[in-house]
Amino acid sequence: MRSLLPVLVAFLAPASAAASEVAGAKVNLLDPHYGLMFWTILIFIAVLLVLNKYAWNPILDAVRGREKSLTDAIAAAAADRDSAARLLAEHRAAIEAARTEAQRYIAEGRATAESMRGEMLEQTRLQQGEILERARKEIESEKVKAIDELRREAVDLALAGAGKLIGQRLDGPADRGLVEQYLATLGTK
Amino acid sequence: MKTGSVAALLSLALLVVAPLRAQEPEVAAPHAATVERVDIITPHITDGNHIELPWVLPPFFIEYALPTWKPIHIGALVLDLSPTKHVVMLLFGALALTVVMLLTARAHRRASAAGAAPTGGTNAIEAMILYIRDEVILPNVGHHGEGFVPYLMTAFFFILTLNLLGLVPFGSTATGNISVTATMAIMTFLTVEIAGVRANGLGYLNTIFYWDTKQPLFMRIVLFLIMSPVELIGKFTKPFALAIRLFANMTAGHIVVLAFVGMIFTFSAVENPAVRVVAMGLPAIMAVAIMMLELLVAFLQAFIFTLLSAVFIGQMRASHH
Repeated sequence: MRSLLPVLVAFLAPASAAASEVAGAKVNLLDPHYGLMFWTILIFIAVLLVLNKYAWNPILDAVRGREKSLTDAIAAAAADRDSAARLLAEHRAAIEAARTEAQRYIAEGRATAESMRGEMLEQTRLQQGEILERARKEIESEKVKAIDELRREAVDLALAGAGKLIGQRLDGPADRGLVEQYLATLGTK
Repeated sequence: MKTGSVAALLSLALLVVAPLRAQEPEVAAPHAATVERVDIITPHITDGNHIELPWVLPPFFIEYALPTWKPIHIGALVLDLSPTKHVVMLLFGALALTVVMLLTARAHRRASAAGAAPTGGTNAIEAMILYIRDEVILPNVGHHGEGFVPYLMTAFFFILTLNLLGLVPFGSTATGNISVTATMAIMTFLTVEIAGVRANGLGYLNTIFYWDTKQPLFMRIVLFLIMSPVELIGKFTKPFALAIRLFANMTAGHIVVLAFVGMIFTFSAVENPAVRVVAMGLPAIMAVAIMMLELLVAFLQAFIFTLLSAVFIGQMRASHH
């Protein structure tokens, strides 16, 4: 442990300076070396030319191309989305239109059915009335016919009765006309 | 004989450290009798004309001497174009970066042909590229800044690769060399000034000669005399700061790591076993922690260099007095 510090000091302090003297001329790190400067320029410019032509431009072009394809893809996606939205709106409108049409048809159908029912009811009522009317008229005519029949029967009965009563002398056309005249007066009453 | 024992310990410690020149802490230390002081830090952080390559046999590396060429004389300037360790690292980094980026680009082409995003590492690199472009370069450079993307993007990945290569075994940090960082800074400086001329035309002169027409004439002249040198100095301090910041950060991190690694071997001379474990363990833990920090710093410094370059370009293009 005692020997550590002197060794360290001895190594770090004079060693390098002394050694470079041993090596010969004192080294000056700031001495320019023109040959090396020449080589640096030559090599650097060669690298610059080669890399510019075969590396930077192709790489940056590739990147640019990729960026362009990305922006294109994004633009295409946006366009697709827009057209999809437009289509969706169109379809919605079409569906809406179809629905209103259906509604209209239903309403129309209902109205038609309603009016048809009314018409049919009216017609039925009219027919019923007609039938009733006809029935009434028939009944009326039958009644008149029956009355006429009855009257004729009554005349015949009365004549038969009167004939029975007054015998054969009253059987002439003058008598018959007289009775019928009388009966006509009854009919007018 | 206290001083004697200290000297013996010290020499032993340095002996142990000696093979570390190879930056290989796991290399076994041969107990040679020669007493020699060896600097392990300076060779690591400076340039050299040999490289070390991994090898299967002990000491697990072979030293390869790089060729030296005759310097070229251009007027008074002596240009030594011999490849050094850092030139090799620059080349290796450039190749590695190019290969990775070309593979990334190919994966991108394939993926975009299939209409998908790339996966895995390719995607990670793409995320970095996009971050640098969209968050660092374009917002700071200003309107129509696309033309600055290639330079700044390359600067970021170039510096990042070199920073990371410095952390790899057998690697060396080229961005820890002032010549490399200064060159990068000079290129940024030129980019900034050319951008200024192109964006402002003749108005560029206003960024050097301070002439504020909102002031009365007398004040205008006074301000011109005071501010013009400041503006001119400002032009040069920015790249100077860029160069020094990157260089100092990369160098400092490596010095700290090496100091801790050196301590491990220094403390292997401690006699008490319990103390030795602690004394060797603590620097080892610290070295690992600093390496982690260096990973962050590698990204951070590349990012800062790029960000500041972009900011300087943006300031220059937006300067209307």
